[in-house]
Amino acid sequence: MDKKYGVYICTGCGIGETLDMEALTGVPGDEGINCTTHPFLCSKAGVEIIQKDIDEGKVNAMVIGACSRRVNFDVFNFPGCIIERANLREGVVWPHSRETYPALAEDQKDDGEHFDRIQMKAQDYIKMGMIRLEKVKLPEPYQTQSFSKKVLVIGGGVTGMSAALDAAKAGYEVTIVEKAASLGGYAAKLRSQMPVRSPFETLQAPVVEALVQEVEGNANIDVRTNSLVARIAGQPGEFTVTMKKPGEKIPFDVPFPLPPEELVDENGKELDADAAHEKYLKFNEGREDILSLDPNGELYGAVVLAAGWRPDVLEGEAYKHLALDNPDVVTNDEFEMIAAKGKILRPSNGKEAKTVLFIQSAGKDEDDSDFEYTGSVTSMVALKQARYVREDYPADGKAYVIYQHMRTPGLQEYFYKAMQQDDGIFLTKGAVTDVTATSSELMVTAKNTLLGDSLVLKADMVVVASGMVPATKDNPVINLAYRQGPGFRDNDIFGQYADSNYICFPYETQRTGIYAAGTVRRAMTIEESMEDAAGAALKAIQCIESANRGMAVHPRSGDTTFPDFFFQRCTQCKRCTVECPFGALDDDARGTPKANPTRCRRCGTCMGACPERIISFADYTIDSIGSQVKAISVPSEDDYSEPPLRFLALVCENDALPALDMVGMNRVDYSPDVRVIPVRCLGSVNTIWIKDALAQGIDGVILIGCKHGDDYQCHFVKGSELAQIRVKKIGDALASLALEEERVAFAEVAIDEYDKLPQIINDFVEEVDALGPNPFKGF
Amino acid sequence: MSANYIPQPDLGFIAEIKGLGGETLKKCYQCATCSVACPIAPENSPFPRKEMIAASWGLKDKLIGNADIWLCHQCGDCTDMCPRGAAPGDVLAAIRSAAITEYATPKALAKAINDPSKLPLLLGIPAAWFALLAIITTAFGGIMEKIFHALFGDALGGRLHWSHAHEGAEHVIAHSNFVSTWFVDMTFVPTAIFATVVFFLALKRFIVDIHDNAVLEGKTDKTSLDYKALLQSVINVIPMVLKHDKFNQCEANKDRSTPHMMVLFAFIGLFIVTAVCGIMLYVGGYAGPYPQLNPIKWLANIAGVSLVIGSGMMIKNRLTNKTQVTAYKDWFILGIVFALGLSGMLTEMARLAEIAWLSYFFYWIHLIAIFELFAFLPFSKMAHIVYRTVAMGYADYANRK
Repeated sequence: MDKKYGVYICTGCGIGETLDMEALTGVPGDEGINCTTHPFLCSKAGVEIIQKDIDEGKVNAMVIGACSRRVNFDVFNFPGCIIERANLREGVVWPHSRETYPALAEDQKDDGEHFDRIQMKAQDYIKMGMIRLEKVKLPEPYQTQSFSKKVLVIGGGVTGMSAALDAAKAGYEVTIVEKAASLGGYAAKLRSQMPVRSPFETLQAPVVEALVQEVEGNANIDVRTNSLVARIAGQPGEFTVTMKKPGEKIPFDVPFPLPPEELVDENGKELDADAAHEKYLKFNEGREDILSLDPNGELYGAVVLAAGWRPDVLEGEAYKHLALDNPDVVTNDEFEMIAAKGKILRPSNGKEAKTVLFIQSAGKDEDDSDFEYTGSVTSMVALKQARYVREDYPADGKAYVIYQHMRTPGLQEYFYKAMQQDDGIFLTKGAVTDVTATSSELMVTAKNTLLGDSLVLKADMVVVASGMVPATKDNPVINLAYRQGPGFRDNDIFGQYADSNYICFPYETQRTGIYAAGTVRRAMTIEESMEDAAGAALKAIQCIESANRGMAVHPRSGDTTFPDFFFQRCTQCKRCTVECPFGALDDDARGTPKANPTRCRRCGTCMGACPERIISFADYTIDSIGSQVKAISVPSEDDYSEPPLRFLALVCENDALPALDMVGMNRVDYSPDVRVIPVRCLGSVNTIWIKDALAQGIDGVILIGCKHGDDYQCHFVKGSELAQIRVKKIGDALASLALEEERVAFAEVAIDEYDKLPQIINDFVEEVDALGPNPFKGF
Repeated sequence: MSANYIPQPDLGFIAEIKGLGGETLKKCYQCATCSVACPIAPENSPFPRKEMIAASWGLKDKLIGNADIWLCHQCGDCTDMCPRGAAPGDVLAAIRSAAITEYATPKALAKAINDPSKLPLLLGIPAAWFALLAIITTAFGGIMEKIFHALFGDALGGRLHWSHAHEGAEHVIAHSNFVSTWFVDMTFVPTAIFATVVFFLALKRFIVDIHDNAVLEGKTDKTSLDYKALLQSVINVIPMVLKHDKFNQCEANKDRSTPHMMVLFAFIGLFIVTAVCGIMLYVGGYAGPYPQLNPIKWLANIAGVSLVIGSGMMIKNRLTNKTQVTAYKDWFILGIVFALGLSGMLTEMARLAEIAWLSYFFYWIHLIAIFELFAFLPFSKMAHIVYRTVAMGYADYANRK
C-alpha cells in the first residue's frame, strides 16, 4: 500500500477554543503533511471533506484529531484507509481546562521558562498518531485451508439435543456424540420433571422423549451413540475430530501433558527440555502427537460442550452424622430411581415409605453450607421429590424438607409456592445434626429450626441432596490436541465447572470454538439447560461465521488481524505457546510455534511475551507502539529552566480506556503530563516499550488494566496478570540502569471506577515527582 | 423451647383449620412480617409467626392449648401486610374455632355447630320446642292453671300463679299469654346451667394447657399455677376488655371495634334488664311488659337498638371486607345475634302496634335465637368471651410481655 498521509483536526467541542490551532496544525505541516481543520468534523460536511480527499486519491492514511475513538467510529469509517484517532477531546481539552492551565501570553512563548502543558499534550497526540500511520498496515483476513460449518455437540442429553436442534434449525449440520447407548441423558431416567412452562405449578412428564423424537427426525442431525471424542485437533472452522467407542484405546487418543511432578528428576531438579520431551513421549506412548492430524478424522467448525453432570458421591467424616450407610438413607439421585420405578418403598424392607425427610445441607450446626455442587436445582428437586411422596400417599404421606437455603429462582417461585401449599409437605430451615436408626424408623435431629431450637423428626426414609458434579471435574471431555493440554485451564477457580465468565461472556470458554452449555457450566434445571443450549448453539454459529470471514469471534469481534511471526528470529523459547491464555499456539518438536489463527482472540499476549519481539499484528506491532512512545516529546533542561515531567500510560482499551474517557467527559482533571497509549490488553505490553520510554527520558510508566485473580475482569483472562508479573521482573533491569523501580507502576480499574482514575494517575505522578527527573533526559 | 420436641404433623388438623376459614395457612413462608406488624403481640416470642408454622405443619398440640391465639383480636394488620397472602389473622381465627370445639363437651354438639348441614336440626329442635310450649300455653292455659293451683295452692301467699299476664285492656298483648314465663324460665335456666358446666369443664383443661404451653415455650416466668392469683388477674383485665384497649390498637380493621363494643354493652344491658325483670317478677310479683316510661324499659330499648345496629354493622363489614375471610362459624354467630336483637325489637313494635299474632310470631323467633345463643355459647365463636378473657387474664398473671 502506497500511503498518502493526511491530518484532519476538528475544532469543535472546545478543541478550537482551548488549543493554539496554528501551532497544532504546524505539527503535520512541518512534516509536509496536509492538515485540514473543520469546526464540526463529524458533520456531513466534515466527513465529506475527508471522503473527497480519499476519492481524489490524496489520502488513504489519516490522523483524525477529534474525539475519542470510542465515539463516532461509525462516522469516521473509511474502508480501505488506515485511520488513527488522536483523542484531543476526551483526552486533552475536556479533562484539562484553561482555568486550570491558562494559555501562554505572547511574551511567555519561547521564553525558556513558560510552557503550555495542554498544548504539549495535544501536539504529542498528533505526532504519535502520525508515526503510527507509518508503522501499520491494513489487515488482510486469515483464511483456513479447509473449512467446515458443521457443529459438533458433545453430549446427547437435554442440553445437547436442544443445542443440536437449535443449530440444525438455523441451517447447520450437527453431529451429536453420546457416550451412552441412547439419547436422553439423565433426564430420560426421571419420573417427573420440574415445570418448564406457565403456570409453573405442577410436575410434568419429562420433555426428553419429545426431544429425542425431534432430534431423530431432523435430517440435519447425525446422532452417534456409544461414542466419545478421542481428540479434537486443529482450530475453529477446521477442527479435525476423531471419535471412538467408550473404553477403546486408539492412536488418536489425545496425549496428556506431563503432570508437574514428572517434570523433575530424582533429585528434584527440573528436567531440561530434551529430557522432558523424551519423558513426555514415553508418557504418551502409542498416541500420535497433537500435530499429526487423523486422516480419517471428520471436520467440524465449532463444538458445543454439553457433557452434563453426575451425582456427587457423598462419603467421609463430614457426613458421618447422616447415617449414609443405612439402606433407608439415600441420595436424591437414588430416590429418583426408586420413584421412577413406581410407588416409593423403603429399600431396607420394601414397605411403604410414607414419611420421607429431605436433607439439603450437610453442615451440622457449625455452618450453613449446603452439600457440594448443590444449588437451586437441588432445592427444587427436593420439592419435586417431596411431591412424589404426596402423589403416592395422598391420604397420609408426609414429606419434610430441612434446608439452610431454599433456592427457587425466577418463575420457579410459583413451583415453590405450589409445593409449599401441599398439606403434607413440611418445610423448615434448620441444621441436621444427627440421623439415627431405630428398629422401625429413622430419627432425624435438627437444630435451629423455624419451630424451635431442637426437633426430632421420625421418618421412614431420609434423602440427602447430593450435588451435580460437572463432567469436566472428572476428565477433560473435549480432549483437545492442544499443546497446553486436552482440557480447559483454570477450571479450579470455577469449582471444576467448564470455565466461562458468566457475567461478561457466557458460554465462551478459554478455548475458542468450544462453547459450554447446560450443567457443565453450572447446575441447571431442564428448563434452564434448554435455554442455555440455544445460547451456546448461537455462539458456535457466530464462531463458524466469524472464522469463515477471518475475523475474531470475541471479545474483539470482527478484528481481521492475527499474529504474524517472523520465524527467522524465533529462538523456540515457547513462551508464546505457554502464555497464550487461549492455547491458540501449538509448538512442534523443535519448539517452533504454530499459530492457529482462528483459535486466536487477538489479545497480543504472545506479542507481549516474545523476548525476540517477532510477533506482530497488521495494525498493532512492537514497532508501531514503540515509535509512538518515541514520538512523545521529552522536554529537558535544554528546553526549559524547569521542564515538566513526562509520563507514559499504557491503558487497556477494554475497561480502563473507557473509564479514562469518562474522566474526560466528566471534566475531571489529572496530570496533563501523562501520554496515553491504548493497548489491546495489558498482556500485549512488551517490556521493550517500557525500557525505551525510560531510556528516552520519560519519567515514569504506568500500566492500567483490568482486575485479575479468581474473579478476574480481564477480557483475555490472563493478560493483566501476566503484565503485572512482567512489570515486577522489569525491576532488575531498571536497577542496572540506576533507575528506581517505582518509575514503573501497575494499576487495576473496573469500567465503573472512572472516579478513581485521576487519583491513581496523580498519585503515581507525585510519587515519581518525589524521585526527581529521569537522569536519561536529554541524552 | 424444650429439648428435642417431636412434631407429629396431623393432616386432619390442617384440613380442619382450612375448613374453618384458614385455607391460606400453607402459604406462609415464615418471613415474620406478621409478628412485626401485629400491634398487640408481646415482644417475647411474638405471635403469629410461630403459630403459622405450627399450623402449616399441622401441630395441633402447639396450637389448641396456646393462650397466644386468644390474645389475637383479629385486627387483620398481619393479613394486610402478609406478602404471601397467608392471612394469619384468619388462620388464627380458625385455630380458635378449632380450640373451642376441642375443649367443649359433648364433642358431637361442638362439631355440629361448625357444620352447615346440621343447621336445620339446631334451629328445628328449639323451634319445635317453643312451638310446643306455645300450644300448651295458649290451648291448655286453663288446665295448667288448675294443675298449678293443685300443686301450690295458696303457697307464698297466693302469689304463685300460672299466668303472669296483666289483667285489663291496657295490656292486651302479653307474651306470657303466648309462651308461659314458667316455660321460658324452665327452658333457659337449665340451659344456662348446662353452658356454665360446659365452660367449667373446658376451663379446667384449658387453663392447665395454656400454662403448660407457656412454660414449654418460655412465655412465662411462673412455674406453678396459682388459681387465686389467676382469678385476680382475670378481674384485672376486665376494665381493659370493656374499654376495648387491645382492639383499639388495630389498624386494618379499626372500624370493627365500635360495633363490637356496641354488641358487648348491649348484652351487658340486656343482662341487667333480664335480671331486674326476673327479680321484679318472682320477688315483687310485677310482670311485664313494662310501660315505655320505665327506666328499665329505656335501658332495654337502648340495648336492643344497639345490639341490632352493632351486629348489623358487623355483618355489613364482613360483607364488604374482601381481605378478611368470613367462614360459616362467623355467619352463624352473627346471624344469631342479629336475629336475636331484631326479633326482640320487632316483637315490641308489633306489640305496641297491637298486632298480636305478629308480635307472638316474632317472640317465637326471639326465643329460638336466645336458645341458640345460650345453649351453644360454649361451642360457638361466642365462647371467645370466656376464653379470650381467661387468656388475657393468664397473660397478665404470667407476665407475658
